[in-house]
Amino acid sequence: MSYHRPQDLASAYHLLAERAPRLLAGGTDVYASSEGPGRPDGAELLDITAIRALHGICPSPQGWRIGAATTWAEVAGADLPPALDALKQAAREIGSPQIQNRATVAGNLCNASPAADGVPPLLVLDAMVETGSLRRARMIPLRKFVTGPRTTALRTDEMVIAVHVPASAGKGASAFEKIGARRHMVISIAMAAARMVTRQGQITEAAISVGACSPVARRLTAFEKMLKGTAATRIADLRPHLEQELAECLSPIDDLRADAAYRAHVAGALVLRCLARAASGATSQPESEGEGP
Amino acid sequence: MTEVSMTVNGRPVRADVPDNTLLADFLRENLELTGTHVGCDTAQCGACVVHVNGRAVKSCNIFALECEGAEVATIEGEAAPDGTLSAIQQAFQDHHGLQCGFCTPGMVMSAKALLAENPEPTEAEIRAYLKGNICRCTGYHNIVRAIMAASGQDVSNIAAE
Repeated sequence: MSYHRPQDLASAYHLLAERAPRLLAGGTDVYASSEGPGRPDGAELLDITAIRALHGICPSPQGWRIGAATTWAEVAGADLPPALDALKQAAREIGSPQIQNRATVAGNLCNASPAADGVPPLLVLDAMVETGSLRRARMIPLRKFVTGPRTTALRTDEMVIAVHVPASAGKGASAFEKIGARRHMVISIAMAAARMVTRQGQITEAAISVGACSPVARRLTAFEKMLKGTAATRIADLRPHLEQELAECLSPIDDLRADAAYRAHVAGALVLRCLARAASGATSQPESEGEGP
Repeated sequence: MTEVSMTVNGRPVRADVPDNTLLADFLRENLELTGTHVGCDTAQCGACVVHVNGRAVKSCNIFALECEGAEVATIEGEAAPDGTLSAIQQAFQDHHGLQCGFCTPGMVMSAKALLAENPEPTEAEIRAYLKGNICRCTGYHNIVRAIMAASGQDVSNIAAE
């Protein structure tokens, strides 16, 4: 195995184009999934965490730019509005504090596990993935970036530079819920995220996603539309419609962590919990347009 | 082989290592700092926790080369040169926070990271923070008690086990 640790993006792009290495951004998934405990070998590894431009969260009038190599500990400690609470809550539940100190946002997305805790919160934040290479720069909606279990839209010479949350998704409040065999250091059985904007107790905007119950985490767009105009206190009345969309768009599997029926059942409960928490956060905000970045 | 240099417990070190050398192996094999224990080798158990630039990490889950130029702190840096235990180590001894001792280096280093960011944690906060550290002997009761005591809190109302 050979290991590369460039200090700047240009060097990283050249290495990507010339050597097609595996990308390393914290590595907490890479080591754990290696043949022979903890020791990835054979491949070339390109560690992007020494590149300063890839670190940190920057607010701007357009929204928030989260550098690819930003750790989950940094996300959890960042000063962000209630609309991004789901992301901070997920950050605190990824692995353990020691894992959160190493694991990164881009690493979580590119590892592309169906149970990636970072994906559902970023889906309800309409996140865009910025990629770079020697040849091109792209902005890809997250829902199109993760294409299947362990696959992404990333080409071999490309890497993720940042994840962007648009200012339009900075309104309202959000929440994240997950369930596993224990609270921490587990792979999620199911998880959900929801973001909600309300006006005078009525839902004006809702975004909902479910993870670990389909090859790629999904937004529940039909149920989101149905919630618009509903009183935030009456969400539970619409549960049959939620169950219907979950049945249509999820395809939970049986595995050693849980069976499909349990996953399907718990997904609905987690969505309702997220919605209740997001509603409580949204209705307690001043009746303004929410906080800008 | 690649040359790596870092500071370990305040001492500059330098060595040529195979690129896929884990930090845990570098500490144990190259530096003979065998206080850092490797329990699971898959980042589950937390026995190998050390600090890199002040942050707790699992040293079986990071290459030595990722620590180029870093400040690394291990359990060997906890006691004073004359053997006087640190406050956390002393509290583990006083409150019987260990039995076989295998998880203890990781527990102490995680506790140190917790107290650095939260000097007076509640019992619930301690338990939540230790979620990445597994003990198979005593359970967690006396470990939690020791950490509360190390932070200067009164533990006389918490029964010992």
